[in-house]
Amino acid sequence: MGGVLIRPVILTICIYLFLKFIVPILPHSAPLPSSLIFLYLMLVMSGSVLFATLSGESKDAFFQPILRFLTGEGGGALGSARYLVLALFPLLVGWQTYGSTASSDAPPGENRTIHPAPPGEYTGLSNPVPKTPENIMYGKGLYASRCAPCHGNFDGKGFAAPGFTPPPANFKDPTTIAMLQESYLFWRIKKGGVGLPVEGMPWKTAMPRWELEMSDEDIWKVIMGEYDGAGQKPRTWDESE
Amino acid sequence: MARVRRVGKRWWVGAVGLLGLCVAAEVQPAYSQQSVAVRAALVKGSLPADDPTAAAWATASVSEFPMSPQVHWPVRITDVTAKSVKVRGLHDGTNVAIMLEYTDPSEDPDDAAALEFMVGDTKAHFAHGQPMAQVEGGPVNIWYWKNKDGKGADLGAKGFGTLKPHSHQDVKAKGVYQGGVWKVVFSRPLTTEHLAEDTQFKPGVFGSIAFAVWDGKKMETGQPKEKGSEKAISSWWYFRADAPPDYSPYMYALLAVALALGFELVLVRRLKKGS
Repeated sequence: MGGVLIRPVILTICIYLFLKFIVPILPHSAPLPSSLIFLYLMLVMSGSVLFATLSGESKDAFFQPILRFLTGEGGGALGSARYLVLALFPLLVGWQTYGSTASSDAPPGENRTIHPAPPGEYTGLSNPVPKTPENIMYGKGLYASRCAPCHGNFDGKGFAAPGFTPPPANFKDPTTIAMLQESYLFWRIKKGGVGLPVEGMPWKTAMPRWELEMSDEDIWKVIMGEYDGAGQKPRTWDESE
Repeated sequence: MARVRRVGKRWWVGAVGLLGLCVAAEVQPAYSQQSVAVRAALVKGSLPADDPTAAAWATASVSEFPMSPQVHWPVRITDVTAKSVKVRGLHDGTNVAIMLEYTDPSEDPDDAAALEFMVGDTKAHFAHGQPMAQVEGGPVNIWYWKNKDGKGADLGAKGFGTLKPHSHQDVKAKGVYQGGVWKVVFSRPLTTEHLAEDTQFKPGVFGSIAFAVWDGKKMETGQPKEKGSEKAISSWWYFRADAPPDYSPYMYALLAVALALGFELVLVRRLKKGS
């Protein structure tokens, strides 16, 4: 019974273990969602069935053990396992049905776009302020007084951060300012959270509208201070083309 | 050879074991994480709307939310007394009661707390429903309590400087200070006639909620430590008044079990006949 059936079972389990535990630790990878793992396993199982039914012989070799198992031939430990499977299957179906019909206690999902497109007038602006040590230091000073309460030491962990959702951006994270142009930061700082389009959920963010309290020149200096303090470089047109 | 056969017969035991390990890995432990929602359970009998110390509150599930100093708009504050609030909710199908609990080293006349809600389906910014550049925002409904007033206030705002009491006052509030902890209960009918000004609660449906707390301790200047925009705040979280129990999913599940069982019986019978 083992040979033909055990191979797809072992293959499926190995693929599962690979997707669940190995993929997340690969460089530049992340844990896969359960739905994606399920999809991959379904593909593996479908492929196994297709492979096993390519010829009449292999089809019989694949299905005969299953048929013998379901009809109770053999008895012994397999007989006990048969009753277990026959009892578990309806329970599994009932559990799935309950899960799909019962109302959820989870709040509605939020599909927030973290970096929505800026208005056209902010696209491609270049920083007009010379990148001198003095200007960078001045920008860092403004950052310390205006931005650090939420964004902390460029890591998003300021003393005012805990109550806000979404949390303040961590500028040291390579997925924040390192993948954005300076013009994008200029828009976000100048117009604040309320300047976001609907997909950015402007009603939730606590980012102030700094144009009411800072000049454009000071905002550009803050941007220089942010990149320097976080050890990041802005994305440029050359890199994005 | 006998050993090989024994191992061969037991292959499925190993496979089932491995499968069990995989299932165990998929099942997520039900650890409580940082709260994202307040759920007001449906209760029978009277609602403890005017008694923050009532035993009924012990039955309500607790959600805890971190609080931040208000740094979003001037006048800002850098240090606040309330670092977090515990929130409980109950409703009886007609009225809803929400209790805030937070630590405060001293009881002061200017101690205050507030809840904020969106009104209707239009999204509103958590900071008093201030205008947004690319989205037409709605107003917010604010339930406010101040120790020295000893009652709740029903307020509305759509932007900074527009906060004002509603002409109708539907909100009640009562605070009790014990052992360095404030417990403040706000209550109101689930629905009101003022759809454009008041938030409306539909059991089973999530809405938005935000919190604010002021420590009214008198400073050397004679002014309260926290006042006006100088306060502890949160941004939007979720609130839901639970719907009455719905037993239909159990019925559907039983039906599915019966159908699956019937399918199994027919299948096995036909297989046996075929063989």
